[in-house]
Amino acid sequence: MIYDEQFGSPRRRKALTAIVLVIFGVLFLRLYQLQLLHHGEMDKKSEENSVRALITEPIRGYMFDRNGELVVDVGPSYAITLVPFEFDKPSGGLLSSLLKMDSLALEERITRARTYSEFLPSRIKRDIDIRTLATIEEHLPILRGISYEIESKRVYPTDAFASHLLGYRREISDAQLTQFSDYYRQGDLVGIAGLEARYEPYLRGEKGYQFVSVNARGQIIGSFEDGKRDVPAREGYDLLLNVDIGLQAFAESLMTRNGYSGAIVALDPSDGGILALVSKPDFDPSILSGVTPSELWSQLQSDTAKPLFNRATLTRYPPGSTFKMVLAAAALQEGIVDEQYRIRCTGAYRFGDRPFKDLHVHGSVNIIEAIQKSCNVFFYQLILKVGFERWTEYGRRFGFGQITGIDTGEETAGLLPSTAYYDSRYGKGKWTQGNLLSLAIGQGEVGVSPLQMARYAMALANGGTLHQPHAVRFIRNKRTNRLEEVPRDSSSVGISPEVMALLREGMRRVVQEPGGTGGLARIPGSISGGKTGTAENPHGEDHAWYVGFAPFDNPKIAIAVMLENSGFGGSKAAPLAGLVMEKYLYGQLRRALPKPAPAKPDTLRVITQAVR
Amino acid sequence: MLNYLKEYFDYKAFLLCVSLVGIGVLSVYSATFDVGAAGAFEKQVVWAGAGLLSMLVAALFPIRPLQRIAFPVYIVTLGILLIVLVAGKTISGSKSWFGVGGLGGQPSEFAKVATILALAAFLARTTTTLSNVKHLLIAIGIVVAPMILILAQPDLGTTVVFFAMLLPVLYWAGASNFILAAIIAAVLSAAAALFGTLTFLIMLVIAGVLLYLTRQNRFAAAVAFALTLAIGLSVQAVYERLPAYQQKRISSFLNPELDPKGASYNVLQSKVAIGSGGFFGKGYLQGTQTQLNFIPEQWTDFIFCVPGEEFGFLGASVVLILFTGLLLHGIKVAYLSKNKFASAAAIGITGIFAIHMLINIGMSMGMLPVIGIPLPFLSYGGSALIANMVMVGLLMNFYANRKEH
Repeated sequence: MIYDEQFGSPRRRKALTAIVLVIFGVLFLRLYQLQLLHHGEMDKKSEENSVRALITEPIRGYMFDRNGELVVDVGPSYAITLVPFEFDKPSGGLLSSLLKMDSLALEERITRARTYSEFLPSRIKRDIDIRTLATIEEHLPILRGISYEIESKRVYPTDAFASHLLGYRREISDAQLTQFSDYYRQGDLVGIAGLEARYEPYLRGEKGYQFVSVNARGQIIGSFEDGKRDVPAREGYDLLLNVDIGLQAFAESLMTRNGYSGAIVALDPSDGGILALVSKPDFDPSILSGVTPSELWSQLQSDTAKPLFNRATLTRYPPGSTFKMVLAAAALQEGIVDEQYRIRCTGAYRFGDRPFKDLHVHGSVNIIEAIQKSCNVFFYQLILKVGFERWTEYGRRFGFGQITGIDTGEETAGLLPSTAYYDSRYGKGKWTQGNLLSLAIGQGEVGVSPLQMARYAMALANGGTLHQPHAVRFIRNKRTNRLEEVPRDSSSVGISPEVMALLREGMRRVVQEPGGTGGLARIPGSISGGKTGTAENPHGEDHAWYVGFAPFDNPKIAIAVMLENSGFGGSKAAPLAGLVMEKYLYGQLRRALPKPAPAKPDTLRVITQAVR
Repeated sequence: MLNYLKEYFDYKAFLLCVSLVGIGVLSVYSATFDVGAAGAFEKQVVWAGAGLLSMLVAALFPIRPLQRIAFPVYIVTLGILLIVLVAGKTISGSKSWFGVGGLGGQPSEFAKVATILALAAFLARTTTTLSNVKHLLIAIGIVVAPMILILAQPDLGTTVVFFAMLLPVLYWAGASNFILAAIIAAVLSAAAALFGTLTFLIMLVIAGVLLYLTRQNRFAAAVAFALTLAIGLSVQAVYERLPAYQQKRISSFLNPELDPKGASYNVLQSKVAIGSGGFFGKGYLQGTQTQLNFIPEQWTDFIFCVPGEEFGFLGASVVLILFTGLLLHGIKVAYLSKNKFASAAAIGITGIFAIHMLINIGMSMGMLPVIGIPLPFLSYGGSALIANMVMVGLLMNFYANRKEH
């Protein structure tokens, strides 16, 4: 019997009603779960789904020199972008020929773009020239998914390179990216040298965000909430430099026309402001103004002339006779000798069984004349009276063996030997006073940078104050539109005015009096002081040094010149220092430019021309 | 006057249906007003108008003639389904649209009505007894014949709907637990066949236990079990022949992690849409998921997201309550009807609505596989809307004539 009950019995009605209510209950509970229990999570997902933030790049801050001249500008740079989803594979051939890009490289770029996003534009080639852009633009109608973006790059409107001072940017490294991932993203340019690096947080500005709605395929269909939530990009702060860009360009040209490699550092003795900072060989910063092709980068790095190496702050050569004022200051300040103290210079000094030579026979000299004539014999004997400890102490007072705190990036502390240093280097009792005699005339282990020497010249110029050298005087805050002064340290060398006056008198005579070694530094119509030096170089020709300042009574500029492998300081470095100071004091030269030294090929120029 | 109306006008069915159609028209507008499906809203309004007329006709059609023409109409419908299968246009992968003088139509929607009426007419015959195996097989055959034609189109969703309609009608008509168990066992083994051998074997054991518990004689139980086994194996064979997109839909439900951007992507977006609606919803035309077209074909199969997102828990609950009200009312009409034909047909209609609601809303909320069946009254589509409103018209008809034998 299959029939067990009647057609449409009440029991069956109840059963079906129950099934309907169960279905309702299940759907209702699910609805409750989704809409009330998981509402927050779903709401968040829905927002993530439909809103995307597009980054708007800020304009990087400008740099102006001390006279308000624009030194570092911003200009447009064009990048070709591609939306992988819209791009047709067959047009890849056309694109690669238009971009002059290897098709394999292009494909790799597209694959990378795809991993970033199928639907958002990725930059596949940056910093293209305007002609390529024009041809691409003509073909845009048949190149689906291709567009271009305007980015900014650095523009250098002046004649100066100032490459080591201004610095440059490169695409952010993976290591930096993991460290600063909260702000930067792949492909961002970030300052890695010079002012661009040190002032990166000020220069970069703040990125803005434009919120757009996207549909399910990720296509942008309009702004989100009429752009009410958009965050505009904030312009980077400007740097107002102490640098005199005309002076910088002139100093660079002097180096270039003579084919020198080396450095010139000029400071404002009143506050340590950097007037010029030249390191040669250098490079045209505009070749690194945008995205640097890796082949150019490796070329610059492997260049034997080391154009990326900042000789002004990183070299560590002996200062030669320019260092003699340190010893003189120690002797005078400690009362070991006075200006009456004289010795007879016979052209050589025998210490132990070793003769220490001098260049000339200077006869009877006191401390001022010893500086003027750069008498080695005087200082050989003087250091034996002063002693190693005091020499080291006064070297430290003038800032040697320590970094200067310059705001342009890397620098060396140099090396200021001490008894402790010699004990650890040679062993206690294993070194002799002979080492000391070399130090007396700035030879041997002592190592200084041109920047340290410029600071030393500054202290001698201003009567004994060491200011922290700084390239940036003010930062223009774009939000408050106020100029914010860059803080800096100053310290005194702790030398009495009387002693200072004697040292300075010696330096004046170096330049102004017959028999001085720095006569070639003389500035027409102005009195200056200085000191020449020649660093003995066992590996080749000596390095020429000159430190000085002008005008003598109220110094406006202090300078250090270091020329690698070029010979005597008095004949090579002194004339350059004189010309630079003259240019700064008068704004121009009052005489014809002397004939350049026999030219050496500037290897870097060859490179940069070949690349461009 | 009012009593007269109450006696003969089924205002409950009418109001529930009109409310759902109203929500549906608003939802279609929201889902389509700014996308490529321009004109969808206007068409839906026109169809709703046509549906009202059809509903009126169905409500007033005399029952006896209806019962008489049910079988001939059913035969004609089968013929049309056959023609569609041979010559129909292909719409999104299946051949169910029927071009008649420029108008598209889905015969399978009307086939539901014809099949319910034919089944009800057969069960209402005084000579029919379900204890008779031949009669039982005829009853099942009436449903399975169009089902096979529709499955061959191929339209998995509608096929499932047909099958789901059969069970409550047979139950209502007095089928024994054993018959129901046999049918359920067959369905279970068919479904389990898709999950691989192990699941299939487990399901066979369950089917066996079910049949054993409800058995009236051993022979019948053994035959039913053999049939169950045969159906499971043949389903496996059919699955192999299904087009890739439907296989994918099935497998993506079985294993959602497998295909995050395909069929289950729709479900994810749909869940997000409904979930993000919260209690009060984002406001009409303000749903971001809806307005930004995150849910493909939202105006058809995923229309429930619109009230879910824009009207929130409040609105979605109203939709659920209206549906449940209609279902309970359908059962009540079936119960009150003294006419067996009307009573069985009312259960068939209610069963169709119920399975549509369960599967459509269930899949929108990620509980059931996406097998592509519309939500009655709400989803965009003329044939379904008119067919569903005709069915409500029939319910109203049965209500009005409930006291006649």
